[in-house]
Amino acid sequence: MSSTPAASSTPLPHRSVASIRAPSVAGQSGPTTPLRSISSSFGSPSSLRADDEIIIVEFGTRKLQVGFSGDPAPRGCIWFGPDQLRRAGDFRDWQPGYRHDWRSAAAGGSWGRDYELWRYDVRSVDLGLVGDKVERALRDAFTKYMLIDSRPRRMVWVLPSSLPVPLLSAALDSVFTRFQPPTISLLSSPLALAVGAGVRSALVVDLGWNETVVTSIYEYREVATRRSIRGGRMLVEQTHNLLAKHLPQGLEGDAESQEHVLSFEECSDIAQRLVWCRPRSTAGQEEREGQEEEDAAARSATVRIPLTSWLSPTTLELPFDDLSEPCETAFFDAQYTLTSFDDDELPLHLLVYRSLLQLSLDVRATCMSRIIFTGGCSAVLGLRKRIFDEVSRLVQQRGWDPVRGKAVEQLLANPKLQRAPAAARRPSNTPAAAPRAQDVGEERDGVWHDRSATPAGPYMEPETDPIEEQLKRGGGHSDQQPPVRGELRAIESVGAWSGASLATHLKTMAVATIDREVWLLHGAAGASKPNEVDHKVQRQSLGPGGLMRGSASGGAWTLGVWGAV
Amino acid sequence: MATAFTPYSYIQCPCSDITLTDRRSGGSPTTSEPDGDDHAFDPRAPRSSFSLYPLEYLMYCEDCHQIRCPRCVAEEIVTYYCPNCLFEVPSSNLKSEGNRCNRSCFQCPVCIGPLAITSVETKPDPNLLAAPDNSATPLAGPYALTCSYCLWTSTEVGIQFDKHNGIHAQLAKLRNGGTTRLTAKERKERRKDPSYKGQPPPTDSQDLDHEAQFANLKAFYQGQLADPNAADAGLALLGDLGFSSPTSLSRIMSIYTGGGLLHDKKAKARLGAMREALDPDEGLLVASLDESAAIAKLRSEGLDGTASAAQRLGQAPNLVEPPLHGRERFLDSLRPVPHLLRTKRSKRCPVCRHIISKPESKVQTTRFRIRLVAGSYIPSISVRQLALSGGTGTGTSASGAAVPGAPLEPLKPAYFLLTFKNPIFETIKVTLGAPVTTPGRFASRVTVICPEFEVDANTDVWDEALKDNAERDREQRRRRGESISAGGGGINSANQLEVGKIWERGRNWVSIVVEVVPASLALAPGDPPLREDEDVLEIPMSVRVEWEAEMAGDEVGAAPSRSNSEAREKRELAYWCVLGLGRIRQR
Ligand SMILES: [Zn+2]
Ligand SMILES: [Zn+2]
Ligand SMILES: [Zn+2]
Ligand SMILES: [Zn+2]
Repeated sequence: MSSTPAASSTPLPHRSVASIRAPSVAGQSGPTTPLRSISSSFGSPSSLRADDEIIIVEFGTRKLQVGFSGDPAPRGCIWFGPDQLRRAGDFRDWQPGYRHDWRSAAAGGSWGRDYELWRYDVRSVDLGLVGDKVERALRDAFTKYMLIDSRPRRMVWVLPSSLPVPLLSAALDSVFTRFQPPTISLLSSPLALAVGAGVRSALVVDLGWNETVVTSIYEYREVATRRSIRGGRMLVEQTHNLLAKHLPQGLEGDAESQEHVLSFEECSDIAQRLVWCRPRSTAGQEEREGQEEEDAAARSATVRIPLTSWLSPTTLELPFDDLSEPCETAFFDAQYTLTSFDDDELPLHLLVYRSLLQLSLDVRATCMSRIIFTGGCSAVLGLRKRIFDEVSRLVQQRGWDPVRGKAVEQLLANPKLQRAPAAARRPSNTPAAAPRAQDVGEERDGVWHDRSATPAGPYMEPETDPIEEQLKRGGGHSDQQPPVRGELRAIESVGAWSGASLATHLKTMAVATIDREVWLLHGAAGASKPNEVDHKVQRQSLGPGGLMRGSASGGAWTLGVWGAV
Repeated sequence: MATAFTPYSYIQCPCSDITLTDRRSGGSPTTSEPDGDDHAFDPRAPRSSFSLYPLEYLMYCEDCHQIRCPRCVAEEIVTYYCPNCLFEVPSSNLKSEGNRCNRSCFQCPVCIGPLAITSVETKPDPNLLAAPDNSATPLAGPYALTCSYCLWTSTEVGIQFDKHNGIHAQLAKLRNGGTTRLTAKERKERRKDPSYKGQPPPTDSQDLDHEAQFANLKAFYQGQLADPNAADAGLALLGDLGFSSPTSLSRIMSIYTGGGLLHDKKAKARLGAMREALDPDEGLLVASLDESAAIAKLRSEGLDGTASAAQRLGQAPNLVEPPLHGRERFLDSLRPVPHLLRTKRSKRCPVCRHIISKPESKVQTTRFRIRLVAGSYIPSISVRQLALSGGTGTGTSASGAAVPGAPLEPLKPAYFLLTFKNPIFETIKVTLGAPVTTPGRFASRVTVICPEFEVDANTDVWDEALKDNAERDREQRRRRGESISAGGGGINSANQLEVGKIWERGRNWVSIVVEVVPASLALAPGDPPLREDEDVLEIPMSVRVEWEAEMAGDEVGAAPSRSNSEAREKRELAYWCVLGLGRIRQR
């Protein structure tokens, strides 16, 4: 009775009531319907493609940035938040007097979750919901900022290389089904950042939301990566704890009970506006004396912070200096010795130092002069310089000797045990160098020169750099100075989104290009492991006509670094 | 406490069950989903928010006989325009000029009010501020952009203009604080300018703002690709790798997916074809890490010197500064916000490509030429609480309406009147299904007293008059509930609750009753607290609508006439809806 002629002839079959089912939750397998061609139900004839425009999407945990290839900057940015989880037509966020009930939303350890697209621990993630959120955010961006119609367009996604495959897969499923891009190319954000800085090698320090990731890029290849859970989320948690500590006592339990007493939104806002990072304090008294030169009145400055999400609106007044505490705890934790940290919770300067330490001599010499700070927390005033200075000091104290006894670390971590007086005050942009480090290098012109970088160390494999050899041979640019190596130096990138825009515009290729039809058929399971792929087939230009011939002809394709499950 | 609850209904667009994740997840063929009708749609699941729509948000394709929601329509752009000056922007401008109005339409970065051009010398005249455009030109420059609501002025961030026109172009050349810069266009022209040839203006790293760094990098990479030396180094070797373009960066920028190509000698040689950027002219920018000035500023200005989250969000991407790394937080880094352009869109059915919504192209009008709203095709459902005297079950009779919006008592039966109104010119048969208990933490019991009924066609007075007397008699008798059993929708003449009987019937509407026993919201110790709206009693309900209509296809151009009833076909439409009935009282 339900299969009338009309119903069976329409491409979207009408369903009987019995077949209407709830969307399956994550982890459940779907109904075992035969592979019905989805392209026929939502697809458009290929003649309707908008082939000239490539859309670049940069995915972050808290925001999406969207724009056109070739543009210097994204056209729009969509932040994730609870208002995006509402039904259509639910305008309560705009109603006067409405206040988001953050307390009930934060129950069960989900304080701030509504402000994130995903968590990397995929066991606790509803993958279908991730797909829905990506779809809604993209749709909003396309309508509000891109002003584009719904013709299928090729896309380039810029992603952190640590993104778990199930999350990537959920996002690809959603976007391939809903927007029909003929292809989606994937580019890792550290690579895009290197392109956006004009370098082929770099040490990318991504002070992100979930974690801080240090990626070493050598000759456009990710050669090493290290991560620490110290990131933006931890900074906002610490900001909450600081504010909670200063709230009037006795009204709402003790601050230590892990219960949140202020809303995520408020704490995140204050972290972005007021939290700052102290400069590195040197061991001796000199620094103190120096600081006394500053206006004593300025030093005792206080900040008034009105809070609305507490039990009753209140205004805190706390010393400005206290607002550097969240940063200290979240990123440095100086009260503990450096040996007491697990590998995934290293303080940031140690994370950067160890990342450099593990590299071979040549790679390290190149990367250390191309440090790129990026990520949301690179906006914490003073944090980049603090990390840079701390790393400089570690290099001076330890050099690049990977063998380091616990006793030595303790000695170094405890300023009182150090005999050498700290060096005299120096210009503010100079890494403070202790004279005892003479055996490792020297300081010239305000930058640290690593002496061991010039002659090859005994335990590292010396590697010749073809570019440099060519440069030495006078290959076209002999008039230019040789690339800077062996000294710590930070450089600026136009950013991952803009780097990807450059790379795409110049028709370089992405890490992996996925064809829509192939994805709809096989999903992530169809991806070969990266090293099984014939690169002749895999590598395709993003230029017109050069897309994904490999997969179209049934060749192997990969998810790039994301496919290594 | 809160305002009285208003019952509501939402409809789930059927397109939402087409998801790949469901079909493929796990990848193991052995796992099977528990099949069954008790696997009901859960309106509390976070995903449901993305597929539920009020009826007014839904469209309808007449050819596919299917609901279309904003997620399952294909959109085309009719007009691009500025919402402030209503100027229509040609689509060719969008790629080059961007997505914002460049005709002096600016929003206040502090309060999003409109900004007006005023003379800096004279006090802003309130009459001028109120003027709709800048036709009333202030007498003498320099000029500033001023907000008539919060009195913000661009001089607060050190920006003022020499001329009162072409503000957009002038602003692109100004940094906050008043320093001038070269725009991307000017840079490009200088590169081409013969007087600069061979000796491009040296870039100070101070000048290397975002747009300049991007432009310099682009020029640098393009130069590298065009360099004959660089091309020589690779071309012969690269032919066998099958790249599409001989000058493709991909030959050189070896972004591999792994693999050992770096150890390949040939590949290594190819890497030499391009070098790194070496100075600001090539886009290399050494970072300045000293932020002590910004910290001192934060110390002295405190929270009041910083912009709110909403103010930061409202800013257009800042291309005129080098990376700010957090300094964008300061109020004096805010810039006037050029209005985002908007679009008028027509919508097509993605399956049959028929237009289902088409606005008038003129910007000033909000009318539509075509607009097939779902409300004209599928029955609307309105909800009203009934107060019934006596106990549960049959034999209960009405005693007027309950207090509207009052909280529902836990564990005490409550009755709701659902009125289905038929918008189409055919009689429809409606079949409802609802799970016995609502999904979620708090299971309320639900009984649809009459789950199957017919609703008469939406005939108008004219049609009514055309009917012959006998037919009209029969209709009227049926409405009054006399001796008709068709569709199981017998009427309940004394407004008595009786299983299988409808409550009331009108010309094109039918009311039925749903009995609910609200759950108790009592929480065991340790349970998470109630989430927002978790106290709302929402029932998921499947709706199937069946009707007969003329055959599609052979009626092109023919005026719809219902007298020709030979070629008729059965149609049906099925979907989930969600009814919000009321808040359950919390103890
Ligand atoms: Zn839909
Ligand atoms: Zn305008
Ligand atoms: Zn204003
Ligand atoms: Zn259609």
